[in-house]
Formats: sequence, structure tokens, C-alpha cells
Amino acid sequence: MIEINQLEKHFDGKQVLRGVDLEIAPGTVLGLLGQNGCGKTTLIKCALGLLRPTGGSATVLGDDAWHLSADTKARLGYVPQEVVSYPWMRVRQVIAYTAAFYPNWNGPFVDELCRRWRLPLEDRVGPLSVGQLQTLGIVLALGHEPELLVLDEPVASLDPSARRRFLRTLLEIIDQPNRTVLFSTHITSDLERVASRVAILREGRIVFHGELDSLKERVKRLHIASRQELPRSFSVPGALRCEVEGTAATVSVGDFDDRLVDEMQTTWDAEVTVHDLNLEEIFVEMHRGNSEFGLRSSE
Amino acid sequence: MSGQPIPFEIHPSSGVPIYRQLVDQVYALLAGGHLCEGDLLPSVRRVARAASVNPMTVSKAYSLLESQGAVVRVRGQGMRVAPKNQKGQASGRLEERKEQFGRLLEPALHRAQQLGLSDTEVREVLDELVHSLKRQS
Repeated sequence: MIEINQLEKHFDGKQVLRGVDLEIAPGTVLGLLGQNGCGKTTLIKCALGLLRPTGGSATVLGDDAWHLSADTKARLGYVPQEVVSYPWMRVRQVIAYTAAFYPNWNGPFVDELCRRWRLPLEDRVGPLSVGQLQTLGIVLALGHEPELLVLDEPVASLDPSARRRFLRTLLEIIDQPNRTVLFSTHITSDLERVASRVAILREGRIVFHGELDSLKERVKRLHIASRQELPRSFSVPGALRCEVEGTAATVSVGDFDDRLVDEMQTTWDAEVTVHDLNLEEIFVEMHRGNSEFGLRSSE
Repeated sequence: MSGQPIPFEIHPSSGVPIYRQLVDQVYALLAGGHLCEGDLLPSVRRVARAASVNPMTVSKAYSLLESQGAVVRVRGQGMRVAPKNQKGQASGRLEERKEQFGRLLEPALHRAQQLGLSDTEVREVLDELVHSLKRQS
């Protein structure tokens, strides 16, 4: 669906994307996770031909992103971070206006979404709240039932119950076969519900891309309680983080397996307890310090 | 939206992947006699909707249960709990079943350590529990 190779983007000498590689297969729901300012929006805009990359390439549904055909555009849905619409029009009119561009617009589905999300159809767009505007943006992006749906921080301005309603709808959308979704967020709990894969963008590079389940199975925090003082040289191969104090140590590893525990128990004469980490904790672990972490992306 | 409750308690923001939680809970329901041979598991869609999680994740859990022999896919009906084998156990690989049991025990053993129980004392508690469960059944 999307193929990104060695994508680079500079803004006035500031390098935002530093060689991003990312491939999104049909039927995938990929959550793009990253801190504010790490380049998520820039990456999405380059991937959709809204920004011209400085280097590398981006391909969407077989088209070069900068030269998308009308046909390809009709198969795409995009919700920008800040939805811009026509303030003087009524909600109903904006929807009718957008629908006119798409031969395959699903009117009943859109009506249903508007009802479910309580969009005030007769209100003018101008005075809508940020959340309502975003909801409108989502409705407009879904109306032609795109094969590829791209959402940039789709729920950032929604309140918790609106967010949950939106997630429900998103889940219904992805329940149809071969629907591909790319969404960026920093709300890890939404990603955990919806995404099957996760890509983590840090300082303009993808530092992890793989299945969410395998990420959770591989990244673990180990507590080591030794019967003797641990040496200063204490280290664990492939550790994301390692803290030692007296006879105890806390180590986060990116490639956990049971043998590691056995090894540590014998090497350090220690009790080792393994703690599962959720996505938020994994994200924080990966953003501590500035080392390159020993985390390989998985297929 | 179907309002029927599902017998699972899913925590998307847990460190345990959602499919793992589902698999473990099905085994727990089987062990506790809350799911019996021939029972139908709630459909993938129903679980996904009720818990607001990706249906693919639920499918993954069900497929894993199927490959371990705990459930059978019945065309047009969904997943049914498989017949028990002679040992009165779901017929997954012994290694896997042991591993799963080990995972459940791990936090308990950690707590035992904090409570200052010796290895022998831990075994005594375990033996007592096993005996009392046998008496009940």
C-alpha cells in the first residue's frame, strides 16, 4: 500500500526525516508512534504527496507520492491533524460539497456516522469546536470508503467518550478485509486496542517496526537480586537500560528469552524476576538516554 | 452493538499481549469448569466489539487455541470447546501447558519470597492446595 525508502526531509537546513524506511502491507493497521516534533506529521505528508521529500522515495498504491493520479487519490482517505474546512458553510453543505467529488460516496454510511457522532448538520462550520471539526474531518475522509485511510493524530482533540466512539468506528472499518489504516498518535492505549503493528519514530528515524504483540513479548524489565554485591562492570548484552545499586539491578532488555534469565541466575548468583511492560512503558524505555538501542525490527 | 457480556476481561494496556490474555483466560475458564466440552466461544466480532479491540487480535488467539487443540473450528458456528482427552486436560502440548502454569505461578512465588517462605514451605502450601482441590472434585 505504502512503500517508503530512505526518505529524507529538510526544512531550511533542519533535518526532520533522516532516511525513513517503512513498508505497509494491505490489511495492516499500523500505529505510528513518536514524541511531539519527531517528524510524524512530516512523514505522513511526504507519504501522501503533500510535502516534497528532500531525498528518497515514497510510493502509494503504486504511484509516486508526489505524482498521485486522480484514481489513486480516490482510493485514499486522509484526516490532517488540524482539519481545515469552509467556515461559512453548514456542516450538511460541506458534506454534500465533498460528496460531489466522489462517484462512490456512501451517503447512508455518512448519515449514520453523523448521527452516531452527533454532528450538528445545520450548524455553520466556523464556530464548531476543535473536536467537532475533527469529527467532521473523519466523516469526510470515510465517506468514499477508502482502501487506505491515513489519520494524523485523529483523536488528539476528542474527549474520552468521543474518542471511544471513534475507536469503535475505526474497528468496524478495519473489520472489512484489506482495509489498510495508518494512524499517528502519542496515545499508546488507543494504539494498543486498534493497531496490529507499530512503528516507532524517533529523531527522524524508524527505530522499531513490527508486530505490537512481538514488541510486548520481547521487551521486558528484569529485576535482579543477587546474594552478593554486583560489580561495576555488571552488564547485560542487548540491554536498553541498566541500573545497578549494591546487590540489586534493574535491566530492560529488547530481546527477551527464558535462557537469558537462567544465564543471569547462574552468572550473578541472583534471583531474577521478569516484568511485562505495556506500550507506554516500552516507549519510555526506548526514549531514555541517547544510545542506539539493541532493538531489531521484526517481521 | 451487541450488549451481551463476554466471559473475558481484557486489558489492552497491559504488558501481556491481548491475544495472550485471551488464550490464558480460555484455559482458566476450562480449568475452572466454566467452559465445558462443546461450549461455543463468543464470536470474534462479538469479543472485538465488546472489548473495543482489533478483531484480528481475537482471531489470532482463537487460532492459537485451535492449534493447541483446546477448541475446534466448526463451520458456520464458530469455535467449540474440544473434547477432553483421557487425562482430563485440554490437549495442548504438555510443554506449553506447563509453561502456562509456570507463568501463573511466577508472581505467587515472588510474593512467597517476600513473605520469607522457604522452598520447602512453598511446596507444603502447594501440596495442601492440590490435596484440598482433589477432595472437592
